[in-house]
Amino acid sequence: MPRTTLQNVLCTFCASGCDNLEITYDGRIVDSARNGCAISVSRFTTADESRILKPLVRREGKLRPTTFTRAIDRAARILINAKYPLLYGWSQTSCEAISKGIELAELVGGIVDNTTTSCHGPTILGVQDAGEATCTLGEVRHSADLVIYWACNPVHSHPRHMNRYTIFSEGRFRKTRKDRKLIVVDVRKTDTAKLADRFIQIQPNGDYELLTALRTAINGEEIEQDFVAGVPVETIEEIADMMMECEFGALFFGLGLTMTMGKHRNTEAALTLVRDLNYVTKFVVVPMRGWFNVTGANEVSTWQTGYPYAVDLTQGYPRFNPGDTSAIDALARGEVDAALVVASDPVSHFPRAAVKNLLEIPIVTVEPKRTPTSDASEVVMPSAIIGVEAAGTIYRIDGVALEAKKVIEPPLGVRTDEEILDAIIKRVKKMGRDADG
Amino acid sequence: MAELLIRNGYVFDPLNGIEGERMDISIRDGKIVEKVSRKARVLDVSGMTVMPGGVDIHSHIAGSKANCARMMRPEDHWRDPEPKTKYTRSGVGHTIPSVFTTGYRYARMGYTTVFEPATPPLKTRHTHEELNDIPIIDKGCFPLLGNNWFVMEYVKQGRIDELAAYVAWMLEATKGYAIKIVNPGGIEAWRWGRNLRHLDDKVPNFDVTPREIVRALCQVNKILNLPHAVHIHPNGLSEPGNYQTTLDTMDCVHDIQRESGPTMHVTHAQFTGRKGWSWADVRSGAPEIADYVNTHDHVSIDMGQLVFTNVTWMTADGPAMFALFKFSKTKWFNADVESETGAGVVSATYKKSNYVNAIQWGIALELALLVKDPWKIYLTTDHPNGGPFTAYPRVISWLVSREARQRVIDKINKTARRRLDLPGIDREYSLHEIATITRAATAKSLGLGCKGQLGAGADADIAIYSIEPRKIDPAKDYKAVRKAFASAAFTVKDGRIVVKNGEVVRSVQGRTFWTKPEVSEGIMKTVTSDLERKFDDYYTVRMANYPIEERYLTSSQAITTRGDV
Amino acid sequence: MTDLVFTPTRQFRIPVTAECISPDFVAGKSLREIELTQVWEGNRRIKLGSLFKVQGEIGRTLDDCTVKITGNVSAVRRIGFEMTGGSIQIDGDAGMYLGERMQGGSITVTGNAGSWLATQMRNGQIEVQGDAGDAIGGSARGGTKGMRGGTITIHGNCGTETGAWMQSGTIRIKGNCDLYAGIHMKNGTIMIERNCAGRVGAQMTGGKIIVLGNVGGVLPSFQFEEIRAKAKVGDEKIPGPFYFFSGDVNEEGKGQVLARVTDNSDLKWNERLIER
Repeated sequence: MPRTTLQNVLCTFCASGCDNLEITYDGRIVDSARNGCAISVSRFTTADESRILKPLVRREGKLRPTTFTRAIDRAARILINAKYPLLYGWSQTSCEAISKGIELAELVGGIVDNTTTSCHGPTILGVQDAGEATCTLGEVRHSADLVIYWACNPVHSHPRHMNRYTIFSEGRFRKTRKDRKLIVVDVRKTDTAKLADRFIQIQPNGDYELLTALRTAINGEEIEQDFVAGVPVETIEEIADMMMECEFGALFFGLGLTMTMGKHRNTEAALTLVRDLNYVTKFVVVPMRGWFNVTGANEVSTWQTGYPYAVDLTQGYPRFNPGDTSAIDALARGEVDAALVVASDPVSHFPRAAVKNLLEIPIVTVEPKRTPTSDASEVVMPSAIIGVEAAGTIYRIDGVALEAKKVIEPPLGVRTDEEILDAIIKRVKKMGRDADG
Repeated sequence: MAELLIRNGYVFDPLNGIEGERMDISIRDGKIVEKVSRKARVLDVSGMTVMPGGVDIHSHIAGSKANCARMMRPEDHWRDPEPKTKYTRSGVGHTIPSVFTTGYRYARMGYTTVFEPATPPLKTRHTHEELNDIPIIDKGCFPLLGNNWFVMEYVKQGRIDELAAYVAWMLEATKGYAIKIVNPGGIEAWRWGRNLRHLDDKVPNFDVTPREIVRALCQVNKILNLPHAVHIHPNGLSEPGNYQTTLDTMDCVHDIQRESGPTMHVTHAQFTGRKGWSWADVRSGAPEIADYVNTHDHVSIDMGQLVFTNVTWMTADGPAMFALFKFSKTKWFNADVESETGAGVVSATYKKSNYVNAIQWGIALELALLVKDPWKIYLTTDHPNGGPFTAYPRVISWLVSREARQRVIDKINKTARRRLDLPGIDREYSLHEIATITRAATAKSLGLGCKGQLGAGADADIAIYSIEPRKIDPAKDYKAVRKAFASAAFTVKDGRIVVKNGEVVRSVQGRTFWTKPEVSEGIMKTVTSDLERKFDDYYTVRMANYPIEERYLTSSQAITTRGDV
Repeated sequence: MTDLVFTPTRQFRIPVTAECISPDFVAGKSLREIELTQVWEGNRRIKLGSLFKVQGEIGRTLDDCTVKITGNVSAVRRIGFEMTGGSIQIDGDAGMYLGERMQGGSITVTGNAGSWLATQMRNGQIEVQGDAGDAIGGSARGGTKGMRGGTITIHGNCGTETGAWMQSGTIRIKGNCDLYAGIHMKNGTIMIERNCAGRVGAQMTGGKIIVLGNVGGVLPSFQFEEIRAKAKVGDEKIPGPFYFFSGDVNEEGKGQVLARVTDNSDLKWNERLIER
């Protein structure tokens, strides 16, 4: 087969949405991936590692290869027989597959939740109380003269974020690094902090207090403490001045805010701070979402059910209340009696109480690569990697929808998430709700 | 070969001059035909009113801002769930219904075509994903062009031909239907936290004015022979008094004549129909606007009727949303879109006792009652800004019955009541006029010949309501009228019965309409090379990844036009 | 008082939603009707009688109705939903959303209660001997209207966001309270007898929060006003002295946070502000 080069390929690792990759491949082997960061290169060049190549079902305690049809049949039975099934994952697959997942959840009467529940769920909950002043990333590139990274480390988590969108980018109104100032707020001096014009070291779990203090300063009120979260009040007032005096400020925040003490109240405080700044100048906030299609999972879930994650469809209509209808909590309470996991590895990532109960129920996993979750499953369906072996729509951090391309063929016999879910749906419909083993 | 005969209803088909005649409508293979064979299924609708399916020209049902609103407002949803049924998917309703619920609720009211009126081009892939998922209705969307960098630069350079080719490229790239302008230049000013108020204010850094942008795009609309007028939401939405800007906007293109209809359509004219200097003092600017519309043929408007309930404001007009947020003090969402446009969402509640809300309520009705020609004014609530689309039957009752209006007038803020002309207006719409402003005129305005009418060749999209025109007087029996329009006896889509007695009995896939203007190769080459040079500077996506392929639309219906360039 | 007794027939793992376990629903019905009422157990519809043994007498009028539950119903949601009168007595642990949108009557729990206890409550009395979860007396998701009347008493500890968006009424926590008690509070009174984890009264615009133990620090958006000798909860006078703070200034709030001096030595530095 001749070597082919594909231009303008979208990377499907993090949510930065870099779509200018140039991939050269020969048959199924990718030789090079240009214009991407190191992580993106490995996504393409290591596609073949740890692959699940055949559908598997557990028989006599071991996972054994089987036919597609048999595996689908077993998966359908597991879901139909469950009284409180969980359909989880979704952030590393396409919107088309997510749409099928929601259809399946409605059909079998389950909870459909995505990885938002363990990373930026608090951001969404914050938005539900405080709103959000945001923009697409190009606006930051064009206009931002003040950039703040709060509780995130893009040098490592989103390696090209700064080149494409912030301090190392070139925009219409900000041409060079000198045209912008960078403030980094973190509990330790990260590699991103080393690039900052001002680094603010904050005490762990002090974000809520510091955000509140900044808001107080911006509203022209006096802060009575001398220090807030370990930061001197004079420094807080200087930062507040920088924020008010810029022409266009952009605040980016990460899991250091969403996952530390306060969670959605931390994000609410950040969102409210940015809102208040808009009375004085132009300011935006953009969360640093992780997985390449977690935003897509939220979007599809919202337009189809009204809610972005933790959607309970067990009673025939959508209900939403994280803490109740969310995957980790429902698992930890021992309520879930079956799980479908798509493109995710909760056994590795969930808290222990949830994992303990997850391991006691039948799991159907749909996944390209072997993981601890697939190892613990009753049924494993091998799937194609989105953006490498399968096309599909994904949403960038800022809500811009892009199309991930199919570059190379998946391993022989391996299907897309969308096809697999569709097959389960058809089987479930055929069996009807009450099929029993 | 499916045949259906809708027998013996009272037919209102304004485009074909039929006003309540008893006649049969014959359908074959999804189209209306002259007659059908004896084997046709018969639907006996004796004693009922038959109209073309509703055509909604302006309703924010799909896309990024609608979804951000849904995400931000779970409190809007939990009180109004829609359980799944044998034929329908589950969902949630109220002001920002989820997509399945949206389609079903429109169909239940006898509506069969709806247009999403404001989509940011960069995010229009999202809009189409949602439109694809909305069941039953046919649809389309209008891409926002009034703050677009390429547009403003071509306007500044006076290169109208290139601008036309660019708009042609954009309509095909976004699979959009018509040119939409929102707060021309003002959203670009919002990049710096500013706004524009008047037609001759300069857009910061671009040195063009709203007047120039609007005129240029209206010229382009004509050059490309697009099916609809330029659809515009003028500057000044958040000013207490803004009707003058609306008049100026309408007047600024009075010399640009379009063959197939008006040059400009001013949408939700209520929101930019206020007179006065301060909020304490606003009055209705409806008489002046209606007067202009009555005496000029190059403009049309739609109402943007207010309903006294909790609503969600959502619009591309970002700066206006922030300005108005300061009144509602609830939640504010904003999302600027690079190099193109913006969006804002705020939750709000309209109260009868609130002076301004009462005046606004009056303005939209005054517009509808003072504009004489029902072909020039259409029924909308600018869903969900003025009220949810499920309130249309209530609005209809206010139009057909003075008594129905009076009941509300008696309860609104006293000062507003004194200052509005509305209490003194007697006019009552007939069913024929209602059919005009909710389907015939809107379809005509959109240039959709196959919709809004029941002549042979039209799409078999039909609404049948439980109103017997000879037995009821809408002016007195407005409650029955309202009930009938809220819950269609039957809705037929492409010849198939989808609603029976207000319940969905079948779900079908509607088509997405979009416009494909053809221009000469030479001019398109010039424009694409301009785009190639600048695209990476302007956008953070590659030009090759920007256009939406036709295969993206589940059911695509392109309308080709021949441009004069 | 006529008592209707529900006893779980087994341990519930899958969540059960039983809004019908409420005086309003049972009043005037027969035992058979109640047993046949359909409830949700996960995604299945099931007769109430399959989940509970139902015995006793049913009051004919609402005020004459006492619903007793004996056993662990921590997996049962929405007991007492929108009740307007009568009483519910739970001898065991109660589940989430107990007494949601309650308008009258009383609920008592001998064990613990779940989260979202009495959200959007309008009136009535609730008393929990054990602990309670998060968002007691709060609002719906994304909403801004919390409880607006009635009294809630928790003898044990409670979770986060007690009294979120509270509009009126009284909440008493005899034990400890996690973060964000009184967040977005508009009016009403919250009294916490032991310690708070912190961030009390965040973004409050009105109302009063009294903490007898350690308040967990005060947010930078609160201003120290003075030391007060006493605090009032209804007619009851609580002896102090108390550090009295007003806020949240970022919301132009007129809320009050009172922290008893003896348990808040970490707030002593505020005393220097008295001289100003």
